[in-house]
Amino acid sequence: MSGRAFWSQVKEIARKDLLIEGRAGEALFITIPFGAVALMLIPLAIGTDKPLLAQVGPGMFLAVALLFGMLIAFRQTAADTPPQKELLTLLGTDPAAQFVGRMAASTLLLLIFEAVLAPVTVILYNPGRIPRWPWLLLVMFLLALGLALVGTLAGSVTAGLRTRNTLTPLLVAPLSMPLLLASAQVVEALRKEASILLWITLLATMNLTIAVIGVVTARPLEESSR
Amino acid sequence: MRQRSHQALNVLAVLAIGLGFTFAALAPAERTQGDFAKIMFVHVPSAWLAFLAFGVTLVGGVVWLVKKSPLADRIAASSAEVGVFFTALALMTGMIWGYPVWGTFWDWGDARMMSTAIMFFVYLGYLALRRSIPDPETRAKRSAVLGIIAFVQVPLVYFSVTLFRTLHQGTTVVRPDAPIDPEFLRALMINLGAFTLVYLAFTSWRTRLARLEDELEESEALSDFDIAGSGITAPQLGEVTGDV
Repeated sequence: MSGRAFWSQVKEIARKDLLIEGRAGEALFITIPFGAVALMLIPLAIGTDKPLLAQVGPGMFLAVALLFGMLIAFRQTAADTPPQKELLTLLGTDPAAQFVGRMAASTLLLLIFEAVLAPVTVILYNPGRIPRWPWLLLVMFLLALGLALVGTLAGSVTAGLRTRNTLTPLLVAPLSMPLLLASAQVVEALRKEASILLWITLLATMNLTIAVIGVVTARPLEESSR
Repeated sequence: MRQRSHQALNVLAVLAIGLGFTFAALAPAERTQGDFAKIMFVHVPSAWLAFLAFGVTLVGGVVWLVKKSPLADRIAASSAEVGVFFTALALMTGMIWGYPVWGTFWDWGDARMMSTAIMFFVYLGYLALRRSIPDPETRAKRSAVLGIIAFVQVPLVYFSVTLFRTLHQGTTVVRPDAPIDPEFLRALMINLGAFTLVYLAFTSWRTRLARLEDELEESEALSDFDIAGSGITAPQLGEVTGDV
């Protein structure tokens, strides 16, 4: 398959997932408000000590982004029904293109999720100005990409299983921990005005590794879900 | 013959563990930690064996994807189970050692502890996935992929002591200038050998058990399978009576 045909399939798969999401609103109208509610619940649970909240705010944003981002990454509306799978197979869609397209749609939704939750965190927790904060935009992108990769891959591994809804979070949460750790370390390093190169490299390497595994194993996973 | 070699491996593993524990008991007490340091003779081999076990799961998964060999899948699954056991052992012995030496069972700032716990949960997920899929081929295929992804955790755990500021001791034994007493090192190496034999014994028995489970599943599936036409019985002349 030519590169152009591959990317055209990627575009169509991503478009299809976004269209379904647009109609169902699972991520935008359910998970995002749910995430915002979670950010409001935490101060109620740990107390309203303002310096403490300012200190933990970025960490809470990352934790909520990870936990609720998982729900977006393996949302029910992104799971193909058996007739949809059969249609994609009959059309000769490359499984790797399906993986990349689905992952691209999830990344976009996760970026929207983070873009909504970041100002909510700033308003609720007032974390103060973090030096060199524009770097956080890169971290948010890498976190969204990583979560989308892990979520899409885990979604393919658990596709069609009765235990999908409970098993997928068990797979995604620990596999995403390095993403959370590295992102939290970037925030810490920025606050201390230290180098963030190591953590950015770790995030990028982790994403690249999972992307390669996802593309290479897309076909056997697609075959196993038929 | 195979049964005998399995039993010989068991006996060898038990003898080696006995020898390892004897050397551990006779090893000198550490200067600052005293006898508490001797828990390392269980902790360090357990952690290393967990890495080895998960490495075998990775290789087994790759072999299955390439050759579709059921044996590779069984070895991968068995090794993951044994790896989870060794990871739990490493975590528990680490916590037992941590309480008298660090003053706490669990230290949130310790990257090695945290990453090991995460690795433990990743492989628990692997085992949960296997239990969720009844079809052997689908199970093998999907768990092979997960076994490959899960292995990403292993280098992270290994390098966590150099990547993060952590309480955990850095790389010691494999360093060329290893600051470790030769007698202590000898006892550690004997225990490492003993634990490796235990790993081999556990994995080979679990692989054998997995084969028996597969055979049982297969025979049960066959017994449930009706032969075409078995639902039809031949007409019995005796049943056709004068009711007509």
